[in-house]
Amino acid sequence: MNDLLPQNRIDEFRAKAATIEHPRELIVDALRAVQSHYGWVPDAGVDLVAELLGVLPVEVEEIATFYDKIYRRPVGKRVIHICDSICCWAAGGEELATHLQRTLGIGFGETTADGVFTLLPTCCLGACGEAPAMMVGLTTYGSLTAAKVDTILAQLRTETGA
Amino acid sequence: MPTLTIDNLEVTVPEGTNVLEAARALDIVIPHFCYHEALGAVGACRLCAMRISDGKVSGIQMACMVKARDGMVVSTLDPEAVELRGHVIEWLMTNHPHDCPVCDEGGECQLQEMTIAGGHGNRRYTGKKRTYDNQDLGPYIAHEMNRCIACYRCVRTYRDYCGGLDFGVFGSRDRVYFGRVRDGQLESPFSGNLVDVCPTGVFTDKTFRFRSRPWDLQEAPSICPLCSLGCATVPGARFREVQRVRAGINREVNGFFICDRGRFGNGATNDPQRPRRPRVDGAQVAMETAIDTLRERVAAVIAKYGPQSVALLGSPRASLEANTLLHDWARDLGTTRLVFDAHAEQDRAARITEAHLEHQARSLNDIRHSDLVVLVGTDPLSEGPMLALAVRQAVRAGGGVVVIGPKPIDLPCRCSHLPVSADQLDDALRCLAGGSADALAAELRDALKELRDRLAAAQRPVMAGGPELLGSRGVNTLFETVEALSTAERPMGAMLLLNGPNSYGGAMLAGRGPNFDMLLDGIDEGRIHALICLETDPCRDARNPARARTALDRLELLVTLDALPTHAALNADIFLPTSTWVESDGAFVNNEGRLQAFARVMEPGLPLRATSPDSYPPREFFLETPGSEPWPAWRILARLLGRSEELSVLRREIADADPRFAPLADLAPDAPGIRLTTTPGLPHYQLDRETPG
Repeated sequence: MNDLLPQNRIDEFRAKAATIEHPRELIVDALRAVQSHYGWVPDAGVDLVAELLGVLPVEVEEIATFYDKIYRRPVGKRVIHICDSICCWAAGGEELATHLQRTLGIGFGETTADGVFTLLPTCCLGACGEAPAMMVGLTTYGSLTAAKVDTILAQLRTETGA
Repeated sequence: MPTLTIDNLEVTVPEGTNVLEAARALDIVIPHFCYHEALGAVGACRLCAMRISDGKVSGIQMACMVKARDGMVVSTLDPEAVELRGHVIEWLMTNHPHDCPVCDEGGECQLQEMTIAGGHGNRRYTGKKRTYDNQDLGPYIAHEMNRCIACYRCVRTYRDYCGGLDFGVFGSRDRVYFGRVRDGQLESPFSGNLVDVCPTGVFTDKTFRFRSRPWDLQEAPSICPLCSLGCATVPGARFREVQRVRAGINREVNGFFICDRGRFGNGATNDPQRPRRPRVDGAQVAMETAIDTLRERVAAVIAKYGPQSVALLGSPRASLEANTLLHDWARDLGTTRLVFDAHAEQDRAARITEAHLEHQARSLNDIRHSDLVVLVGTDPLSEGPMLALAVRQAVRAGGGVVVIGPKPIDLPCRCSHLPVSADQLDDALRCLAGGSADALAAELRDALKELRDRLAAAQRPVMAGGPELLGSRGVNTLFETVEALSTAERPMGAMLLLNGPNSYGGAMLAGRGPNFDMLLDGIDEGRIHALICLETDPCRDARNPARARTALDRLELLVTLDALPTHAALNADIFLPTSTWVESDGAFVNNEGRLQAFARVMEPGLPLRATSPDSYPPREFFLETPGSEPWPAWRILARLLGRSEELSVLRREIADADPRFAPLADLAPDAPGIRLTTTPGLPHYQLDRETPG
């Protein structure tokens, strides 16, 4: 279990769940904690969260599968969520998506061979004002062009040390 | 009682009825998926659109979400509403696989019906359909997620109504998935209801898979015989076997659902080991010969030892008609040695219940609406699972549940537990009623006092108990306690989970007759030489089966009428095969004294699976249906007694002979049933007052 979540975080969640009325509300936090430590949320991660919070595994799985920012399958070190909604389509989002797929050599839902990038379409990022947009980790990148995307990819690749 | 106009027709409906139901009252059925009477309205499927003109809510509305109001004018035929429904159904169908030819739901598929009713006949969507992997949900439920239209009925039934914890809805958007976290058998004892509520073929009965189209099934309204609650069921038969059982609707008893035991525990009728031929001294004979022999042999025993040497044993499994004829036969023979339950303690409990229940009687529907249910010495999931489900509905509506018994029990809802050992249950009940209880620990006394206060404050309290743990004395005390805690303005109710589907009916016939242990004494002491067992095996059903087995060996004449391959059936001197409840009309009186009829689904016969396992149609032909020898037990007894073999005539005779059974004369199946009044003018049945055997 230790590779899913460090002991101090396990203790932290357990203690907090014991003091609040609806431990359910910690499910997202706990799943994100597992994800940021382990990279994604395996089945054992769902079971761990359920056990820590004293809720049913089915309740955790319902939430884990509802949100597309919780990864229930292995992903690359950086997950690119490219906006797949109407404002971005109008501003060239589809061309950008094609550019991303070509540059990375992967389709949607796939991970590059070096394990750095996973590419996913996402529903509206709420960045319509700077469409087309994409999100990597907690950072949103707006007003994208093919050149800008290339720069961002290079930068991200350097960050991950690849 | 608002009166509203729907499609130019006026209808008056009870306060709180939604417009969809009001339209249904006029036989105007508008397509809908998410609304279900037991589950309520959520307005999610967007199918039941109607136009409402005038008033606060006007325009196109989801009819299930709008309460009927006086003067409301509604149109279901409004072109805009009709078009909207058409678009919604078309959209719900975009991902549907159109695999009706290989789908078990075909023929009773609400999606098929609603698609046609919604006017969607031409597929325009040409995109890719989303597909899913199915899960192995165990031996009872088949899973076919591609057919799903995401109406959410399954999860509302399984999780919300039935309290199952291992089923949910995953994903989002058009990838919504209904199932378990991982493959595995569904854990809820009410899982089979998924089959009934799913409007399409996502959840189907695996035991029935690819066996029959529903229109090929013989179906009839029936009553589940597997416990004393008397839930409505609809068994379906084909090729001379029961192929499935689905829930019937009885709003007073089970509502819309049944337990998995009632749905999947129906093997007895099809059992290849089932004895189907009448036998005398081990040799197969015709039914008429067996009945004649029975008459002669009983007469011989009486000639030799007197009428009291013959004992008759009815059963909670046998219909009211059969038990009544057994009672009449005993009277004709001149023997008082007549019992209706081989288990002496369960027998007593049933008789005490019958004598005391009266105005304390509560139905499962009353329990669903109770605000405080106390379960004493009972485990509903084993003794009567639908009681557990009724209790859950009480809790969902804000009621409380307190369990008094030796150990915590599994219930599909939150409950509090007062630990009381089995031998202290009686004292605990007395203490609850306000009596002194020095034997009990102070802590328990305080808890019971607190419960007494809660009961005093409750509006619709009910106490339910099980005789298996309470014993007849405890059952007696339970009624006294309920009486003590009742006031004229605020009566308290009781429910007892009895031994079988007709325990109450047997108790009505038993009166103050002996119990079976007394009959065993009689056999052991050489006073009883002949025993007639009606659909019961004392070697399994008696309080002390081993003792019964020894006693049976002493008999000069053992007669068994039964459909099961029991010890008493296989070792009887005269064996008369009876039909099972699906092969016969009849009536049971359930644990609250409710008389209910069940209708014949099929004629008895050896399943085609047994006679021609490899081929259909059969290659050999007979004039007689193989295995069709069993008769309904009441018909065997009617022939024996020279009574009418016409059930309607027989029922009228029974009704005329005993005013308590008056409703039997006009009893119809597929009805809520009629609660019988208890013995008029007779003092209450008291403990230790049975006439010795």
